[in-house]
Amino acid sequence: MPTLGEFLSPQQTLEALGAQDYIASTDIATVVYLSQQLGKPLLAEGPAGVGKTELAKAIAGATGRELIRLQCYEGLDETKALYEWEYAKQLLYTQLLRDKLQKTLAKSKTLGESADRLAAEEDVFFSMRFLLQRPLLHAILSPNPVVLLIDEIDRSDAEFEAFLLEVLSDFQVSIPELGTLSAVHRPIVVLTSNNTRELSEALKRRCLYLFINYPTLEQELAVVRLKVPELGPRLARQAVELVQKLRTLDLRKSPSISETIDWARALVALNAEHLDSQTVETTLNVLLKHESDLEQARHRVAAAPPTNRPLS
Amino acid sequence: MEKRIVQFVKALRASGARVSLAESAEALQTTEVMGIQDREAFRVSLRCTLIKQASDFPRFDALFDLFFGGGPAPAFDNAFSGLSAAEALRLAEALQQIPPELGELLERILRGDRLSPRELELLAGRVGLGYADDLRYQAYLAERMGRILRFRELPEALRELLQRLAENGMAQDRLAELADRFGANLCSWQQQLLQFAGRRIAENLGKDRRRENPEGILHKPFAAISDRDMDQLRREVRRLAAILRTRIALRQKRAKNGQLDAKSTLRANLKHGGIPIEIRHRDHQLKPKLVALCDVSTSMRSCSELMLSFLYSLQDQIRKTHLFAYIDHLEFISPEFNGRDPHAAVERVLVRMPSGYYNTDLGASLENFADRFLDTVDRRTTFLVVGDGRNNYNDPRLDLFELISRRSQRCLWLTPEPPALWSLGDSDMIQYRPLCQTVLVAGNLAELSSAVDHLLAGR
Repeated sequence: MPTLGEFLSPQQTLEALGAQDYIASTDIATVVYLSQQLGKPLLAEGPAGVGKTELAKAIAGATGRELIRLQCYEGLDETKALYEWEYAKQLLYTQLLRDKLQKTLAKSKTLGESADRLAAEEDVFFSMRFLLQRPLLHAILSPNPVVLLIDEIDRSDAEFEAFLLEVLSDFQVSIPELGTLSAVHRPIVVLTSNNTRELSEALKRRCLYLFINYPTLEQELAVVRLKVPELGPRLARQAVELVQKLRTLDLRKSPSISETIDWARALVALNAEHLDSQTVETTLNVLLKHESDLEQARHRVAAAPPTNRPLS
Repeated sequence: MEKRIVQFVKALRASGARVSLAESAEALQTTEVMGIQDREAFRVSLRCTLIKQASDFPRFDALFDLFFGGGPAPAFDNAFSGLSAAEALRLAEALQQIPPELGELLERILRGDRLSPRELELLAGRVGLGYADDLRYQAYLAERMGRILRFRELPEALRELLQRLAENGMAQDRLAELADRFGANLCSWQQQLLQFAGRRIAENLGKDRRRENPEGILHKPFAAISDRDMDQLRREVRRLAAILRTRIALRQKRAKNGQLDAKSTLRANLKHGGIPIEIRHRDHQLKPKLVALCDVSTSMRSCSELMLSFLYSLQDQIRKTHLFAYIDHLEFISPEFNGRDPHAAVERVLVRMPSGYYNTDLGASLENFADRFLDTVDRRTTFLVVGDGRNNYNDPRLDLFELISRRSQRCLWLTPEPPALWSLGDSDMIQYRPLCQTVLVAGNLAELSSAVDHLLAGR
């Protein structure tokens, strides 16, 4: 099994991701392969819970790289994403080293001289020792190649997006006290977005775009069989068919793949033999999280139960 | 091949997708990596570099098929080949008896001749294919070419032919076979025409064209815009929204007036030796909470849609948005906008509340609102009505409007009509006017953009 470094072809990418329990379509594999070949960030967009974050994890697993994750939220800024001086530690050190400092400065005669001596020692306080590395800097400085996941970029502010542009295009960061730090290895970057707002053109331009939609019945069945092998094949198919049907309804929030898997686990836990209306009724709230959706699903699904339901 | 890809990019742009220079350069780069042998991989690699919006995928796929030979070439099959010599002779004789032009046409189709490029060119000239630059005309133009080829008269002629053959004693199953093959070949001709029309239109799209002046469209009144203008306006909205967003974000950043942020102050003043010279405040500028009621009746639709597009693009500058649409009653439409582009969302909304036989009635809609959604309005809410205030002489329900206005922090009205028209006809603007804090007049996109700026500036 190729665990090191690189994807060799789209086909090999598909297999390597498959080995990480990630069932990718050829589209996904091709774009992942291309993003690595061109050294471009990958922007994965799609409804919530279709496995965008999982994709980054699978890439990390398949290439044997460390995954560094930056979760975006409103108000995220550079100090949280890039680096910060650990001022408390700096203050603590100055306190503890006071004697040593005084000794160093004792020999000097004039104020100017002591200032010069202090300036010579300045580097001690503005060194990597006191630099708190946040995910972005961590990804850039990591001695081993990494996968950088910037999750839910659509939640961050426009300013942060603009700031990211700089980092993503050159993979270098300038810290005034230390100078410019550039990446040891170019990380594989995966950005995900739930499409709650439109991202700026400039950011999109720098990325390869991948839209991940809800899977087809066969794909989803394969995922469920892989993640919840305890569920019998017939029941799994019925369950996935039902979920696929729910997605065609006009719901506030369609069930995602992760919810399908949760539901499958719930069915296993309940020792369900088949999908009768009783079981569906009691477990539907694993799939649907809005009261109005539940109401609608009960009407539509209970009226037409899944195929080959045994008579009870 | 490079030239073909460049043409393809031009066609994509002309059909409304946004493709930058850097992206087209990158597309060429990917084809070097991926090669073009595997068509599917080629398609995916072009798509992930050129298209950055899922809603543009269908457009891309349609054009891709036209530019890079989509679908199998139509198959032709010679109906004569399956016949014995005697039968072929009989068929030829029968064809002689059909009126000459139709007879020749029938024979060609039965033999499975393709339309030659020269013939296609001639047909193209007759239907004016050279001027078509919209893929929506593809099927229509193909059909018109078929009409020139007298496709409509063919079924009748075929029936006549088969009848003659039957009279001459051709076996029944042979006749059925002939009819089948004829049908299949005719279908292939139609497909050939359709593909030809599509390719030609796509090539037209790929040619350089004069760009329309965006400044002009900014100042065109909403009442005078066509569907085509609307496409362009939607693109403009995205551009304007990007400008507005930075402006609003900057304003919020500069105007900090909240509590003292001790942590951030310490951090910022480290360079002054811990003496707080620069005071930092916690960001206390609250982003507005917005409740918007939009009139989506025919007269107001374009204005409302563009306003909704603005709000959608600027979502991150608003804390919480509740969107409602009304014509004669009120509908909660925020869920429609979840992850959809505004145009598609508005179309879905219109499916739910088709306009037509009934009339705008804000009074009844306000009543719906007060019954079911009054709790969305609190002292931090900006309440916005997008409408022309033309109520068809229904009760304006000023009492409810006043109630909502009093509950909200700000109450704004956005209308496309200039004040001079407010007192005419069925307009109730004069009555609503004193209850609103501000009435914004936006008769075109430029005005709408500044109205949105005012709306989000707060106060």
